[in-house]
Amino acid sequence: MTTSSLFDVLMERVSAGERLGADDLAQLAATPDILQLGMLADTVRRRLHDSQVTYLRVALCPFDKPFTDAVPLAAREVRVTGTPDTLEVAITAVEAARAVAGERAVSAFSWLDVERLAAAESSRPAKVLEQLRGAGLDALAEVPLDRVADASSVVQTIEGAGYRHVRLTIEKAPAAARTSLFVAAAALQERFPVIQSISALPTLLDALRPTTGYDDVKSVAMARLAAPNIPTMQVDWLRYGPKLAQVALTFGADDIDNVAASDDAPDGRRRAPLEDVRRNIEAAGLEPAERDGRFQLIS
Amino acid sequence: MIQSTAKKVLEGGRVDRAEALELYRHAPTHLLGQLADAIRARKHPERIVSYIIDRNVNYTNVCVARCNFCAFYRPVGSSEGYVLGFEEIFKKIDETIAVGGNQLLLQGGHNPDLPIAWYEDLFRGVKARYPAFKLHALSPPEVLHISRLHQIPVPAVIERLVAAGLDSIPGGGAEILVDRVRTLLNCYGKATSDEWLGVMRDAHRAGLRTTATMMYGTVETDEERIEHMMRLRELQDESGGFTAFITWSYQPEHTERGGIEATGVDYLRTLALARIVLDNFDNLQASWVTQGGKVGQLSLAFGANDMGSVMIEENVVRAAGASYCMDELEIVVNIEDAGFIPKRRNMHYEILGDPIFRERDVPRMLSLATARAGGDSSVPEELRNYPARSREGKRIRLSQ
Ligand code: SF4
Repeated sequence: MTTSSLFDVLMERVSAGERLGADDLAQLAATPDILQLGMLADTVRRRLHDSQVTYLRVALCPFDKPFTDAVPLAAREVRVTGTPDTLEVAITAVEAARAVAGERAVSAFSWLDVERLAAAESSRPAKVLEQLRGAGLDALAEVPLDRVADASSVVQTIEGAGYRHVRLTIEKAPAAARTSLFVAAAALQERFPVIQSISALPTLLDALRPTTGYDDVKSVAMARLAAPNIPTMQVDWLRYGPKLAQVALTFGADDIDNVAASDDAPDGRRRAPLEDVRRNIEAAGLEPAERDGRFQLIS
Repeated sequence: MIQSTAKKVLEGGRVDRAEALELYRHAPTHLLGQLADAIRARKHPERIVSYIIDRNVNYTNVCVARCNFCAFYRPVGSSEGYVLGFEEIFKKIDETIAVGGNQLLLQGGHNPDLPIAWYEDLFRGVKARYPAFKLHALSPPEVLHISRLHQIPVPAVIERLVAAGLDSIPGGGAEILVDRVRTLLNCYGKATSDEWLGVMRDAHRAGLRTTATMMYGTVETDEERIEHMMRLRELQDESGGFTAFITWSYQPEHTERGGIEATGVDYLRTLALARIVLDNFDNLQASWVTQGGKVGQLSLAFGANDMGSVMIEENVVRAAGASYCMDELEIVVNIEDAGFIPKRRNMHYEILGDPIFRERDVPRMLSLATARAGGDSSVPEELRNYPARSREGKRIRLSQ
């Protein structure tokens, strides 16, 4: 089958809401034709979300710094960052975040931190998760698919500890290894609807070997095509920057995570983070909608 | 209409203003990319993506034009104003040759205290020391500035500069070739649209090849962006002298005009539209300097077939906030990762060979050089040989 007829066939199938199989995805992962790939992913994106793109304003709070001034009113989620050495420090940080967050969602840490803290306490991850939940945690900030041996039991543990949203991430898997992770994520979500979102681009950036633009948009598109059942396909505004994040919206992403919550606009109102993100979404021909840390639209 | 225009483009047809506007405004981004990519594939079926190793040297930042979108210039008499000495420029050429470069892109402000003899002596000096080295120098407004300074017609200025060693003319200063826009940007005075095109016409008649540029994202309408492309297309039909087209978004930081930068998607759409409208241009450069490496690389799917310069030095867009840097290795990695074959070229877009770092050891460049180190306010020795026009210039000469 020629490349263009393959795409025509696949386009018909994704337009009809059909899931692509492993062979189709493998062929797509090998194509250098990112535009066709983008068209397919955009078709899925539009079927799921029409022209809506959500964004989330986040206050990033290093666990070892005071939180009070770091959480502007505009933040819709408080995200504790860093890797505390002990569970006690982690719990204290979550409690402090909860105190400033009020009704807003609090996220923190990675699944790897949970494992590490559990080991340090000679405890179980489930127990650590329960304690963090008791301190006011709503969600883990990262569940890195490429770093967990048994994703299914990880998600089951998180769900069992009472968490309502799981956000899947990729820590550093190279582009070639990601498609199989996205396929696994899709299968996982069928068993655990608590999986709300996936972020297809690495959270760990390597300054000496940065990912390329092709890699990035291809990963976003592959994730969207492999996992149409995961509702939210995220791209990180702070890590990837407005230009790439905006282009990713035309390759299947429907949610911009990690927009600075600061209302400061030293360079004028039009360059303030909120204006900037909305302007970029609109300039991509899409409609911005703000959401909160629990994936609820803010009217 | 979009489908019929798309069909026309794919069949090799030429779009008119209305069709171009319809495509730009309403065609899905991927479709625009596909049309542009089809033209790129037709013109460059061998999948080569070229680049040049050169150095973008700004010989002076003193400028009387005062374009309100420019963060680079300093007025006459400013303590931050500079003119590079010939020896400084020779040193930059040595460094350029060391990393495999073969050309200087030499542009600067409209400095009233640099007469044509300064340019001629510089060019002769370069050619005497480095006979094979190329000078891609002086955009149309600079040529006009010299012409006005000395009351010499443009063709005569070009003739003298070519006799001294000028090889080709860069397409800077075009901004948007619509006089309404130029007036609002305060760059009508430095060159009207007709004057800019006139210098290029004269250069092409003199046998020089030139590039063409467009800086979008200030005050122009969509129609005016397209008008700019149409005017370039007409001149190219007439002269065939343009080698390439380069577009970039206005970089607003530290400029008098201020405002915001156009988005990455707008860049890719504008680039793709340029590939479609400028059907008589062979080459389209990606502006990774303003868009960053990632969108720069994605440009290759939206009609670009050239990654521009492995830039060793940049001063103008850096002054306005853009500071992306890629050395040859990174450019080559990006080209190959996108499925293309990287080749070094010269200004005439003739292929010179494979990446130089695969032939011999070259130092990595992880940051861009600047025209001068901060705080260096030295005045070059040889300036005393050239009469100054401005009062401040005369004062400096006297104090030398
Ligand atoms: S863009 Fe060029 S001509 Fe205009 S002010 Fe800047 S240096 Fe001068």
